Amino acid sequence: MNENRRQILEMLAAGKITADEAEHLLAALEPDTTATAETFTGRITGSDPSAESTVKTRAKYLRVLVEANEKGEPTTVNVRVPMQLLRAGVRLASLIPAQAHEQLDATLSRHGIPLTLSQIKPENLEELIDHLEDLTVDVDAKEEKAKVRVFCE
Amino acid sequence: MIPSFAILQVEAPHFHMPRIWLPLFLLWIPVILVSPLILIVMFGLCMAGRISPWRAIAVLWSILCGLSGIHVHVSTHDSKVLVRIL
Repeated sequence: MNENRRQILEMLAAGKITADEAEHLLAALEPDTTATAETFTGRITGSDPSAESTVKTRAKYLRVLVEANEKGEPTTVNVRVPMQLLRAGVRLASLIPAQAHEQLDATLSRHGIPLTLSQIKPENLEELIDHLEDLTVDVDAKEEKAKVRVFCE
Repeated sequence: MIPSFAILQVEAPHFHMPRIWLPLFLLWIPVILVSPLILIVMFGLCMAGRISPWRAIAVLWSILCGLSGIHVHVSTHDSKVLVRIL
C-alpha cells in the first residue's frame, strides 16, 4: 500500500479527519497512479501466457485527418491537438459563473446540444477525457471522395 | 511546458511565405515585466465575475502549457498552411 494512502487511512481511523476529507485526499493521490500507468508501455504477461493483458497508455493527442478530393483537386487537413489543451478547455467551463449556466444551457439545447453545464464538475472531467481517448471516428464518403478520421494517439 | 517556438508557413498562388520560426520564449520577457499589472487586472475581473482567481490562474496556465504540441496542416493543390507550436 502506498505510504500516503496509509497515512490518510490512519488519520481517518484516528478520527483526525472525516470520511469526506479522506475521500478528497485519496482522490488527490489518483494522478500518481495514472502517471505510473502512463510511463509503462507494452504488455503484461502473467503466469499463464494465454492470459496476456495489455496496459493502455494514455493518449496525448487528438488527431483529425481529412482527405478530400474536390473537383479533382486533393485537399488534406491534418490537425493534432494536445489532450492537455482539451483538459484545460473543459476546466475552463468550470469557471463560468453559476448565474450564466441557465442561459448557456438554454442556448445550447436550442442549438441541439442538450448539455447541463452545472453538472460538469472537476471530478467528472478526467472521466470525460478518458472516454474521449477511446474515440475513433472513420468517415469514408466514396461519392464525395472524402475521408475523415478522428482518433486519439 | 510553455510554448517556446511557433512555426508558420503559408503558401498561396500569389503569396509565398517561407517557413518561419517565431521565438515565443522572447515574449515571456515583456510578459514577466507586466505580470503584476496582468495579475491585478485578472484579480479584478475574477472578483467582478465571482470566480476564484487562483482557479482562473490555474486554468489559464494549463491552457498556455497545453498549447505546445499543436499542429495544424492544411494543404490544397496550390496552397498550404502550416502552424506548429513547440
